[in-house]
Amino acid sequence: MDPFGAEGELVNIHTAFVQGQYELVLSDFEASSFSDTNRQPVQILQYRAQCALGQYDDVIKSVGNSSVPDLQAVKALATFLKNGSDGAVADAEKLSETQGENLTVQLLCGIVLARAGKADQALALLSRHEGSLDAVALSVQIHLSQNRTDLALKEAKSARSFAQDALLVNLAESWVGMRQGGEDYQKSFYVFEELAQAPSSASATSLIAQAVSELHMGRLEEAETALNQALVLEPDNSAALANKVVLDSINGKDVSEVRSKLQSVDSQHEMLLDYAAKKEAFQAALEKYSPKFEA
Amino acid sequence: MAASSSSSSNSNSMLTKFESKSSRAKGIAFHPKRPWILVSLHSSTIQLWDYRMGTLIDRFEEHDGPVRGIDFHKTQPLFVSGGDDYKIKVWSYQTRRCLFTLNGHLDYVRTVFFHHELPWILSSSDDQTVRIWNWQNRQLICTMTGHNHYAMCAQFHPKEDLIVSASLDQSVRVWDISGLRKKHSAPTSSMSFEDQMSRQAQQQADMFGNTDAVVKFVLEGHDRGVNWVAFHPTLPLIVSAGDDRLVKLWRMSETRAWEVDTCRGHFQNASAALFHPHQDLILSVGEDKTIRVWDLNKRTSVQSFKRENDRFWVIAAHPEINLFAAGHDNGVMVFKLERERPASAVHQNQLFFVTKEKHVRSYDFTKNIESPSMLSLKKLGSAWTPPRTLSYNPAERSILLTSPADNGVYELISLPKDASGAVEPSNTMRGTGNSAVFVARNRFAVFNQSTQQIDIKDLSNSTTKTIKPPHGTTDMVFGGTGCLLLISPTTIYLYDIQQKKQLAELAVAGVKYVVWSSDGLYAALLSKHNVTIVDKSLKQISTLHETIRIKSACWDDAGVLLYSTLNHVKYTLMNGDNGIVRTLEHTVYLVRVKGRTVYCLDRAAKPKILTIDPTEYRFKLALVKRHYDEMLNIIKNSSLVGQSIISYLQKKGYPEIALQFVQDPQTRFELALECGNLEVAVDMAKQLDRPVLWQRLSSEGLAHGNHQVVEMTYQKLRNFDKLSFLYLATGDEEKLHRMAKIAEHRGDIVSRFQNSLYLGDVQSRIEMFKEIDQYPLAYLTAKAHGLDDQCEEILEACGLTADTVSLPSFGQPVEPPKAVAPTFKSNWPKRATGASSFEKALMADGDDTAAAETNGFVEEDLLAEDIVAEAGGDLEEADDEDAAAGWDMGDDAVPEVEEDFVNVEAAEAGAGSSEADLWTRNSPLAADHAAGGSFDSAMNLLNRQIGAVNFQPLEPRFLEIYQSTRTYLPANSGLPPLVNYVRRTLSETDSRRILPLIPRDLESIQAGEITAGKNAMKVNKLEDGVPAFQKALHLLMVNAFSSAAQAQEAQAAIHSAAQYVLAMSIELERRKLVGKETDLSSFSDEDKKRALELSAYFTVPGMDSQHQTLALFSAMNFANKNKQLGSALGFANALIERGTNAKFKETARKLKSVAERSPTDPLDVEFDTFGEFDICAASFTPIYAGEASFACPFCGVKYHTKYKGTVCKVCQVSAVGAPSSGLRLVV
Repeated sequence: MDPFGAEGELVNIHTAFVQGQYELVLSDFEASSFSDTNRQPVQILQYRAQCALGQYDDVIKSVGNSSVPDLQAVKALATFLKNGSDGAVADAEKLSETQGENLTVQLLCGIVLARAGKADQALALLSRHEGSLDAVALSVQIHLSQNRTDLALKEAKSARSFAQDALLVNLAESWVGMRQGGEDYQKSFYVFEELAQAPSSASATSLIAQAVSELHMGRLEEAETALNQALVLEPDNSAALANKVVLDSINGKDVSEVRSKLQSVDSQHEMLLDYAAKKEAFQAALEKYSPKFEA
Repeated sequence: MAASSSSSSNSNSMLTKFESKSSRAKGIAFHPKRPWILVSLHSSTIQLWDYRMGTLIDRFEEHDGPVRGIDFHKTQPLFVSGGDDYKIKVWSYQTRRCLFTLNGHLDYVRTVFFHHELPWILSSSDDQTVRIWNWQNRQLICTMTGHNHYAMCAQFHPKEDLIVSASLDQSVRVWDISGLRKKHSAPTSSMSFEDQMSRQAQQQADMFGNTDAVVKFVLEGHDRGVNWVAFHPTLPLIVSAGDDRLVKLWRMSETRAWEVDTCRGHFQNASAALFHPHQDLILSVGEDKTIRVWDLNKRTSVQSFKRENDRFWVIAAHPEINLFAAGHDNGVMVFKLERERPASAVHQNQLFFVTKEKHVRSYDFTKNIESPSMLSLKKLGSAWTPPRTLSYNPAERSILLTSPADNGVYELISLPKDASGAVEPSNTMRGTGNSAVFVARNRFAVFNQSTQQIDIKDLSNSTTKTIKPPHGTTDMVFGGTGCLLLISPTTIYLYDIQQKKQLAELAVAGVKYVVWSSDGLYAALLSKHNVTIVDKSLKQISTLHETIRIKSACWDDAGVLLYSTLNHVKYTLMNGDNGIVRTLEHTVYLVRVKGRTVYCLDRAAKPKILTIDPTEYRFKLALVKRHYDEMLNIIKNSSLVGQSIISYLQKKGYPEIALQFVQDPQTRFELALECGNLEVAVDMAKQLDRPVLWQRLSSEGLAHGNHQVVEMTYQKLRNFDKLSFLYLATGDEEKLHRMAKIAEHRGDIVSRFQNSLYLGDVQSRIEMFKEIDQYPLAYLTAKAHGLDDQCEEILEACGLTADTVSLPSFGQPVEPPKAVAPTFKSNWPKRATGASSFEKALMADGDDTAAAETNGFVEEDLLAEDIVAEAGGDLEEADDEDAAAGWDMGDDAVPEVEEDFVNVEAAEAGAGSSEADLWTRNSPLAADHAAGGSFDSAMNLLNRQIGAVNFQPLEPRFLEIYQSTRTYLPANSGLPPLVNYVRRTLSETDSRRILPLIPRDLESIQAGEITAGKNAMKVNKLEDGVPAFQKALHLLMVNAFSSAAQAQEAQAAIHSAAQYVLAMSIELERRKLVGKETDLSSFSDEDKKRALELSAYFTVPGMDSQHQTLALFSAMNFANKNKQLGSALGFANALIERGTNAKFKETARKLKSVAERSPTDPLDVEFDTFGEFDICAASFTPIYAGEASFACPFCGVKYHTKYKGTVCKVCQVSAVGAPSSGLRLVV
């Protein structure tokens, strides 16, 4: 039986991980309480949770120089996330060539490659999975980030055929739905809302997703409520702050405070980088005109 | 999911509503209106019960031996009984006594019934006769003989002049009594008593032996005695029950009557039978201890109910309500056959419910419209059982119903798109289960009580998950997203479906329904007599007990729970405070509360609207939440205040608020004391002026250290001793002296002594002693203080010498301590408590008017903001726009730059083009290009459309738009969030029509910046007004509107905003020149002239009339102050003509009358009141009609020709006189 499936042992820890409940992944689950075969996946999930929480050094330290490919992949990811080093990318490439059939390698090295701008390589690696929804979800996201909604949709649909109603399939479809718009906004909203409102899976991540979908549907007040809830749960959540900036500027509010908060939390956030770039672009575009002022 | 409710009682048995314990019950009668039932007992007692409350109202004991017949009169407060003492008694239940007795029967009376309209009583007796009595004149009017054994039962036909009777002679007889009616409905007023007597004599002695009642049919078929017989309420049918254990159905026509069929099932004597008043059912009871229900049309058994030990003797039906009563060996039971609660569910503004005909309908709360039937559920469960619950799934627009038939079934049905009538549903999913409820968009849960299992199913009805509920679970309802509430008789559990884990449990007994608040944060658990409010994690918040049965509940939007009992709508707050909202005549099931409107379903499953007065609970809620403004509002706008609310406030610890309501001085005094408001207490005590109050006030004042109040109360109480002591304690020596004086005046020796002691006044003490002939004491006092002269005097007066007086030795005289601090000057300092926020709210309310007047222009009323720009100007503007657009149709095409941009992106292998790129392709609007991030092309567009050249001021706007259109969706851990693009075309999926959301629509700009700017004008903060209007201009410049009409409105707003900026800039220029000085005599002539001109130009731009009034007023005064009476006169005339402020006009008229005497300007200014001209926005000089000028292509402000090509001063973006195609604001 699929250990991640609805009846499997790993379902709760995996769900918590997918929902961004990283603290829960670390605190509520003890690797030793799982059966032998599932111990390693639990360990990997916990390492990934640590990475998500920014504890890269702890991960690198505890992995050490293990020869287990799974752990090497973890190390590559942690190292890359820590400083984006080329060495980590090279490691990941090497691993993907030698250990390409290992799921952990596929997932983690896929992330590294995708982030390093080698999307095609990442996709090729991920396509070697055998029924892993994590791999599907990653592929979908990479497709979407390349604006290939069509490919993402195809990927999600194929997963639907073998995994029915699994959480990740729902999520992946919702991500695609957010790009397609129209009625799909509502469908995506239902998925996000369901996660955000259920007590077991309510997390800042799912609340943010709900808020974003509401924002896209023009339900600004509802979006604000959900975002504020997320910010209560995690006041320093960069995604929540970023979307708060968006929401506030739609509402015509002053966003400088939230933006500086975001700056202090995650100075390398995509939104800030993008904003700075656009500011420059504006100045550059401005140069073409030479207004004449009356003294 | 929306709030839904469901019940847990799901057995097939009857719903027993009331049971009494007594000796054998032989007769039963329902009161037609009140919840009363009369029970006549074998023990000779008649009981009157309230079956709703379960209380015995009265007992009537005058019969001797068993009482078998009993009936209520339909309209009057009467009832009739017949007993084994051969007597028929008529009673008044109001006066609670027997009015009279009808004697005549010669054996036991079996049944008695009132006629539905005539003053008749029908009785049957073991003397083999059936008799009719007139209870008004207390006469026997007809005796029907024919039965040759005991007559067991006789009943009137509900409409026609027929009687049916049953007898142990095995026959049922139908009698025609139309002759009797004719005789008795003949005019009686003219008839004398003798006439009546003679008529009766006649009747008795009919020569042919005929009576007024003739046997019409004799029905034979029972082969034992017949115990009971009854007519159908509307059809020509009769039902009878006999000792042959059979229930027989008979039909009759005008001419004949025949047996239709027999209902077999009772295995002992059948005691009684009747037709269901509203449904095609027969009910019968028997000595086999069963109640049986039969289908009238098929004569098959539908239901049966068995009692353990008690034989049934009689059954009765309520004439209107769906209620029955059956009498047995040990009392009476009142029951109903089926649930009357219509299955329903609320989603947003819609109610879905099942009607009595088992049709599914919806009801729209906003439009108050009931839809036609959408579905027929005839096939669900058995024909006679209505569905129990309904759960609605908005995502799939489907419903899930459960029915208790066949030990519980559920059915999943999709609702048709339009309600087109009661169609049979197609492709439904069904299965067995006791409860079923949607738990997610594509999942529902089914609970099976017998297997104690919950199946989670998908929409194709296949089980995806199985859950074992806690032992003893009897019902399952929605428990919040992803959760279920599982109900057992003593406990309720919150269960997480995904984790398969019990999250919480709470011991609440007998929960029947669960009602969720619309925000899903709270739930009310309803049991028969309790309401328990819990939060979504099943933590108990409050609970309350009701003696009357609780029927339903729903949540107000403010978080107040309204619930209905059998006869009231009540409310409860979260803290458990509750009260009555209104009374109910009929039981209803609440489904929704909106403001003053309560929506409910009645027992006939019809939507009903009740109006309520929510003031009381709103007020209490406001109090709990400390929303004092709202409380204040409620107090002002409603007649809420009553004793109850005052005592409520007091009880809840808000005496200071209660104080605000009370007029009665006594109560005010009490409340003031309670909240320590001495001021009010003093006022009230003064009004009332009663010693007891002063007494209490004094001790309260003392406790507060408020010795001034204490002093006053002591004065009022004439409490001199205490007063003196108070002065001593506060060190008020002066007043102490006065007290001494007063004491002397009063001749109160003790008081004088006291005061002199306090004052340390030895002299006066000695004087006093002397006065009262206490020489020894006087001497001692003098001696002790070393006043030897005095001693001598005293001795002398007494005729003694010092030697004769022997004294003990005493120490030094003690001086009373002197006051160090002048405490008396003021009260003890207290920490300022300040006014309560409520009082503040009250006070602030009073200050409103004063605050509004403190603005620069001291105008009275500038609130009329309805007139926007002049209509003429608008049209012109629009025409210009159209004309310009006509010139450059082709130019709006997307600039080429943008093609390159796309190509660059596309160069990346495998990647597609982002939605942002689509936007720039799909739209010719600058705003959409800015949203797409293509600032280059956006600027290019603006440059062509409105000659924009200076883009710096637009930077925030560009970035705001850009930023508003990208959201960040966290997806996979480790990867950056997914960027999504926010659209304004929400339902569009065609990539060629997708357009971005542009923040700040026209309405928000008008409500925000433009209103702020106009307010700045009103309060004379022009330096704030200019940037506000400029910001509005920039917001409008880069924007997208949904319709041409809106775009036109936006153009008008642009024009108006520009005029304001111009006007304000002119006025600011004047202030720069001369500051706030109104008298210009100290300035040079040149400055003076310029200032006066600017002041005049301020009146020119097209502002709203109330703001133009301000400008005119200011210009008029300025001119007047500087002796420019000619100009002043012009402004005054304009003001009188166009002003919007009465006070200003008044001033203008006065000024006009003065100025008209010498309308000249000593200083010649360049301003012609009558001339048509514009003001150049750069030089602030006039541009006369016909003079060459250039305009800003965006805001339309005019400039002298020399400013051509410079950036517009007003909008700060466009170049004056630049070629332009006109701003596009609509795609």
